Amino acid sequence: MSVQGLDYGKLSLQDALDLAVLIEEEAKERYLEFADQMQVHHNPEAESFFRFMAGNEEKHRAELAGRRQRLFADAPSKVSSAMLFDVEAPEYDEARAFMTPRQAMESALGCERKAHEFFAGLLDQIKDPSVKELFQELRDEEVHHQALVKRELLRLPPDSGLNPDDFADEPVAQ
Amino acid sequence: MNCQPKDFKSDLKPIWCPGCGDFGVVQAIYRALAAVGRLPHDIAFVSGIGCSSRIPGYTTAYGFNSVHGRALPIAQGLKIANPDLLVLVAGGDGDGFSIGGGHVAHAIRRNIDLTYIVMDNQIYGLTKGQLSPTSKQGLQTVTSSLGSLEQPVNPLLYVLSYGAPFVAQGTPADMAGLAAVIEEAIRFPGFSFVNVQSPCVTFGEDDWQLKQHKAVMKSLQSLGHDPADVIAAMRLAQGYGHELHTGVFYRAPQPPPTYDALVRARQQEQAGKALPRERVLELFAAKKKETAA
Repeated sequence: MSVQGLDYGKLSLQDALDLAVLIEEEAKERYLEFADQMQVHHNPEAESFFRFMAGNEEKHRAELAGRRQRLFADAPSKVSSAMLFDVEAPEYDEARAFMTPRQAMESALGCERKAHEFFAGLLDQIKDPSVKELFQELRDEEVHHQALVKRELLRLPPDSGLNPDDFADEPVAQ
Repeated sequence: MNCQPKDFKSDLKPIWCPGCGDFGVVQAIYRALAAVGRLPHDIAFVSGIGCSSRIPGYTTAYGFNSVHGRALPIAQGLKIANPDLLVLVAGGDGDGFSIGGGHVAHAIRRNIDLTYIVMDNQIYGLTKGQLSPTSKQGLQTVTSSLGSLEQPVNPLLYVLSYGAPFVAQGTPADMAGLAAVIEEAIRFPGFSFVNVQSPCVTFGEDDWQLKQHKAVMKSLQSLGHDPADVIAAMRLAQGYGHELHTGVFYRAPQPPPTYDALVRARQQEQAGKALPRERVLELFAAKKKETAA
């Protein structure tokens, strides 16, 4: 998890909103990639959960992008997606072909915690009060997202305890 | 026009096993290409055969998923025919250091301006887990049930020994570092080699996955390594298989001329010496008369 080439001490509200939008976009795209991976490997339950998460990230992205548009219209951005590395997105090695919905949700919960840590960890470096306020809001938002995922987890029946590696064939790559 | 990483992503859905290291590698390649600033139609991707060799299909650049072990000769031909193309070569450790091993030395000695990215997972994953040239000694696989008896090939030492002017290593466990070394390799004027430790989630060793990479990787920069020092690079490269060093092992301080530059120089040198067309035809006519008489 990292962001390259940004001095948080000099971050303006516009930069901060651009960064937040890109973080949500990166997470959304990764969840969609995971959903596609699950589809390719015939795991519809995990696929459906990852699509649900992608939808949530998109909602949040759209809300932040709307706010950015209202405040700064089309002012050029100094932040690009190439600067971001897995801030809220699940890391590629989190996915498994035969992952259960519970494992998929636990992975998403880990991401919400990771994002919370990211925003909380930056607060000391932020000088602009409006940026600090935004980051506090985003940090608290991640707590809300964690609660959503935990609620979904509680609805699930427990996993069988069987490890798919013990009985399933290896995934077919080609 | 500035490209973003997603501009290099094709609509084709990767069919690698979920959790495969190659997902991170292709992401790092998108980022490196966006940073380099060339457009997809200025780039060609050539690969051999294997899981990692599917990469050309997952980019919007021109691509050729070619023949096992033959990515380098095809890429060399492509670059010679169209020197303005940015040519990237991708493949696995089996493709590059077993069946294609003989081609690596020649690509290096010609110093054709290519970037060769090897996704080294120490196993033949696509064919379900046989020993590969970089499998460690003692590894038990479907073709070595009692453990491999052979020493692994060390790709870093291999290319350094043949005089590769740019040699680096990365892992998708450090995406920022991997994207940076791939970008640097692409920008290097000449043959550049990046060994990517890209674990096989299905047939690879459980204790050599990305989580373990994160725990043990050490950047060469943090060790104070001078990438201009080829002897130090060779010493550090001997840690392959035991340590995970990331970053640039060797960057020739004065890059040698590329094959393309040498060809152009030869063309210029010969241009003034060539006979005019009319004189060549006269010589032919004279020879013909002489043969007829």
